[in-house]
Amino acid sequence: MIKQKINTGYLISLGVSVLLAFLVGAVILLCTGHSPLKAYGAMLSGAFSAPRHVGDVLEYAMVLGLCGLACDLGSRVGIFNVGGEGQLLIGALTAAQVGVALDGASAWVVIPLAAMAAIASAGLYALIPGVLKVKLKVNEVITTIMLNTVAASLCQFMAKGPWKSSNRTLIAATERLNADYWFGGLLRGSKLSTAIFAAAAIAFVVWYVMQKTTPGYEMKLTGQNPRFARFSGLRIDRKIILCMTVSGAMCGLVGMFRVYGAEHLFKPGVSNDYYFEGLMVAMIARYQPLATILLSLFFAVLKIGAEGLQQVGVPNQIYLIIQTVIIFFMAAQGGFLEQLSHSRNLNSIRSSKKGGA
Amino acid sequence: MSEFEKILSTVFSVGTLQQMLRSATPVALAAIGGSMTEHAGIMNIGMDGMILMGAFFGVLGSFLGQSALAGLGLALLIGVLVGLFFALLVVRYKSDEFIIGCALNTFALGLTSYLSRSVFGNNGTKGNPALPALHLPFLSKIPILGPMLNDQSLFVYLTWIVVLLAWLFVYKTPYGLWLRASGEKPDTLRTAGISPKRMQWIASLLCGILCALAGAHLSLGQLSGTFAENMSNSRGYIAFACVIFAAAHPGKAYLAALMFGFFEAIGLRLQSYVSADLTNTIPYLITIIMMVYVVARKQQRKKKLARA
Repeated sequence: MIKQKINTGYLISLGVSVLLAFLVGAVILLCTGHSPLKAYGAMLSGAFSAPRHVGDVLEYAMVLGLCGLACDLGSRVGIFNVGGEGQLLIGALTAAQVGVALDGASAWVVIPLAAMAAIASAGLYALIPGVLKVKLKVNEVITTIMLNTVAASLCQFMAKGPWKSSNRTLIAATERLNADYWFGGLLRGSKLSTAIFAAAAIAFVVWYVMQKTTPGYEMKLTGQNPRFARFSGLRIDRKIILCMTVSGAMCGLVGMFRVYGAEHLFKPGVSNDYYFEGLMVAMIARYQPLATILLSLFFAVLKIGAEGLQQVGVPNQIYLIIQTVIIFFMAAQGGFLEQLSHSRNLNSIRSSKKGGA
Repeated sequence: MSEFEKILSTVFSVGTLQQMLRSATPVALAAIGGSMTEHAGIMNIGMDGMILMGAFFGVLGSFLGQSALAGLGLALLIGVLVGLFFALLVVRYKSDEFIIGCALNTFALGLTSYLSRSVFGNNGTKGNPALPALHLPFLSKIPILGPMLNDQSLFVYLTWIVVLLAWLFVYKTPYGLWLRASGEKPDTLRTAGISPKRMQWIASLLCGILCALAGAHLSLGQLSGTFAENMSNSRGYIAFACVIFAAAHPGKAYLAALMFGFFEAIGLRLQSYVSADLTNTIPYLITIIMMVYVVARKQQRKKKLARA
């Protein structure tokens, strides 16, 4: 994994990548007979034209940011959690079911219990690949990918079968939560809920621990130089497993926020590969917490704005293209610049030789 | 007939086996491609996107050229391009193969959905010229095997040839040796005067082509000229599981694909007894258990060696 610091060079290449990606998008738009200016204008107004759009942007930024931070947490100690999607679904399902099972109890009881259920189930689900990685050196990327599919199937099974809603029009969904348990909406018509305050608190704690505390420094050491960390007396095995579990628990909480804040029931659509998008944001942000949060705001604007595209007749998937092209450029730029300077060095050596002769 | 016998007879029926072959074929093609990159030391999880690209451009070619062969041609061309693109980023610019794989999957989903809606409208496309199923009269006389193998898409038979060729290539030719060395001992290979990067380029290229074939089979073969958004339906991840399961051996990868196909087929058939969602998880769990077993055995061997 390439780990570089955030500096001016990074900001420049990020800016260039974003610009190039919008250019690529414009070319594709032109090829399919749409005006890029009109489309990008529709995107802007799609994200900002009404308060409810801004609310949706913030809600999605919360999802992306927390998922990205969960990924940061793992990568800091050198474990790559790709299983967030599965952990999110498991957390969402258990949290939803707690709300359904305790229907009638006070919200002060239900919401903490649901959060704990989400944390515990998703954390345990992340514990499996964590333990396998540390104890047996089984590649965590592969196990988490497998466990993603397993989780998706299991959740679908529960939502279609034992925990199915009595509403027959829903094919795979749990019972709708009692409205007392919903997180309060903040902007009329948007998905934004008070969950964002909880999310902000979590994000702050994660940032603080990672950047400002001794355990955070030890995590960094564990990820960058595990042998040195071990010889310095750190229990790196325990750190890796702990970080993986917390990362999973965070994804589980995102699932709970999605259920209690936005959807009010569990269905497989609670997450449409949101974790993968968060992971890509984290990657672009070079696994730095603050940059992850800022970039998730940017990508949320892109995603919600893209919904405004349909009004001018442009398929909104153009946003996926732009997002991934940014990643391609960002991922390639390290190697590209290296080769550029390499060939420049070669050239200067050659010319100096010529000059000397 | 008791309930149990009934279940057994549905599980081991000709229909199940036919279905198994049908669902295994695209996965197997992609898995063989993935075996190539795996041997070259690239963990390729972008196969899902590669399949999707093949599926869409297959249909697009068939629509534009009004012939299935044009579709196949365009799919192959795109396969080449995607393979080269993957190699450019991963091999040449040394990007994280995992990130590129992830991004490639999302990119393919975005691009194919976008283009499909732009070209065919929101309802997608159907009934473009497709690759016909092969009916071999002599096969129909053989019991069980006959109906199982007959009337399948051309790709089913093609895949066997691909498996054989891939096996010959990887294990019986110098290129295969270099390919494996490029992943396991790149420095040794470099000492021998062969560029490991070149082998990785070739592996990515082959993987792109085979995945595109798998996609073309899905859209042009199985669904007779239909493209649906996200129609690869995480088959790329299944193929990836097969690669891991088979330790990148093409023959074993085919068998692993058959296993996935088998569980998918019985899942469909036993719906009145168990949910297909549950039977679908079995192959993934088996893959994880396999990995743990392989790693644990390796460690045991190491310990034994250390003692001796």
